[in-house]
Amino acid sequence: MSAANLVKVARLHLVDRFSYTWMVWGLMAFIFAINVAIFAVIPLTQPAGDFTGALISIYIFMAVIGVQAATKFLPFAFTLGVSRRTYYLGTVLLVVGLCVVYAAILTVLWWVEGLTGGWWMQLHFFRVPWILDGPWYQVLITNFVLMTLVFVFGLWAGLIYRRFALIGSVIFFGCLSLIVVLGVMVITWRGAWVAFGSFVANLDILAASSLVAVLAVLAGLGGYLTIRRITV
Amino acid sequence: MTPIVVIDHVSRHYRGGTTALDDVSTALQTDTITGLLGRNGAGKSTLMRIITGQEFVSSGSVRVDGQNPLENDAVLGRMMFVKESQVYPDIKVKRALEAASWFYPGWDAELADQLMRDFDLPANRALKKLSRGMHSAVGIVIGLAARAEITLFDEPYLGLDAVARQIFYDRLLADYAEHPRTILLSTHLIDEVANLLEHVIVIDRGRIVVDANADDLRGRAVIVSGRASAVDEFIAHRDVLVRQGLGSMATATINGPLDDLARARAREMNLDLGPVSLQEFVVRSSGDQRERISA
Repeated sequence: MSAANLVKVARLHLVDRFSYTWMVWGLMAFIFAINVAIFAVIPLTQPAGDFTGALISIYIFMAVIGVQAATKFLPFAFTLGVSRRTYYLGTVLLVVGLCVVYAAILTVLWWVEGLTGGWWMQLHFFRVPWILDGPWYQVLITNFVLMTLVFVFGLWAGLIYRRFALIGSVIFFGCLSLIVVLGVMVITWRGAWVAFGSFVANLDILAASSLVAVLAVLAGLGGYLTIRRITV
Repeated sequence: MTPIVVIDHVSRHYRGGTTALDDVSTALQTDTITGLLGRNGAGKSTLMRIITGQEFVSSGSVRVDGQNPLENDAVLGRMMFVKESQVYPDIKVKRALEAASWFYPGWDAELADQLMRDFDLPANRALKKLSRGMHSAVGIVIGLAARAEITLFDEPYLGLDAVARQIFYDRLLADYAEHPRTILLSTHLIDEVANLLEHVIVIDRGRIVVDANADDLRGRAVIVSGRASAVDEFIAHRDVLVRQGLGSMATATINGPLDDLARARAREMNLDLGPVSLQEFVVRSSGDQRERISA
């Protein structure tokens, strides 16, 4: 494994750059246009402007292209003598690189949104209270870690499907749900909801971003363990 | 000759009791064209996938230039493995070639262009929109132009017509003559490649049944036919691949070679001796177990 090989794998993915360029930002523009149209015809409910939450669509889309990227080039990469590890790390390199660029674009749009008073109609599309609020570098970091998390998680899910098929995927998502349910049960059992609520409320957004980053690293590790014995 | 790929007692079992490879030991010699022959499901693809680190062994070991190829970029990068139904991403033909060129320092763009013309391949068409034969041709172009030190072709010409196949053989031989490298070619079209091969490995039901120099093999197997009693007498104490009887007549394929004395003796006994083509030889040696006396 060498850095040059990782870059080659990342380049390999970019041969089919349509889904990373026109598709992502075309979708983004489309959803934004719909929001603008809605805001143009519906009166504001709050004097300070409304939040749409539609930004989540690009995050969902990140997970989807993550699933695709997991195995799209894998058989071809095998033909070209690339190891599983190099393929995976090269793909993660691409993901991190793309997420830096995407987060930067989102942050610029966030900034323009603030500058224009919500696109001259108090539309808060790129600004989400608490999560994407505050100084620009916080917004950039939060966008970046969240995007990386969903993208890498998509990679992992794609690899799980490729290696363990439908049954494996069902078990995988079942286990993840179980972890969440167990967490909820423990908090309820310990009567700790108030403590949990104040923990989240007091959480600094940068600390929250660090937690997200830890989750992204865990998902990345999961993907690595999954691809190690994959066959195509 | 020095072996570049050494396969030592390799077995591959799958869950559910299928055995794809059963204690296989063989070697690929450096700068040699080896044919990997056998029936569907005999284990050819599994063996090639194991050599290129794409499949895992259940037991045994594989060494490529002395190293385990599994997850070994240094070794894998010297190999190219083109499969029968190669899966490509949804990109244009020229993009696939371009991408392949990044991975092989010996990539010959001129040869790739030449092959593209030979096979009439449309560079700007998406791989998904190619016909079956064109799809195979792309694999051949990539496989040859890469000039990988070890090139594996697994049934590379599904859907290719006879003319295109001949182009493949001609180009392979011509380029091999200029740039010798180790080539492993698995195929069903044995007679077509018979003259191309320097070494032959026949695999049947996961076991290697023939592993020999092609020149030795050609003219080694002999068909003996005549009266059953004479045939039986002649083939006693010989390596018999198949014996078939029809009334008082019998035919047997024996693993020669026969010396002049044996040939003279056959004439005395009124037996007909005939040569066996490589294809017949493979068919005989990997035929049904019940018919086979020994192999």
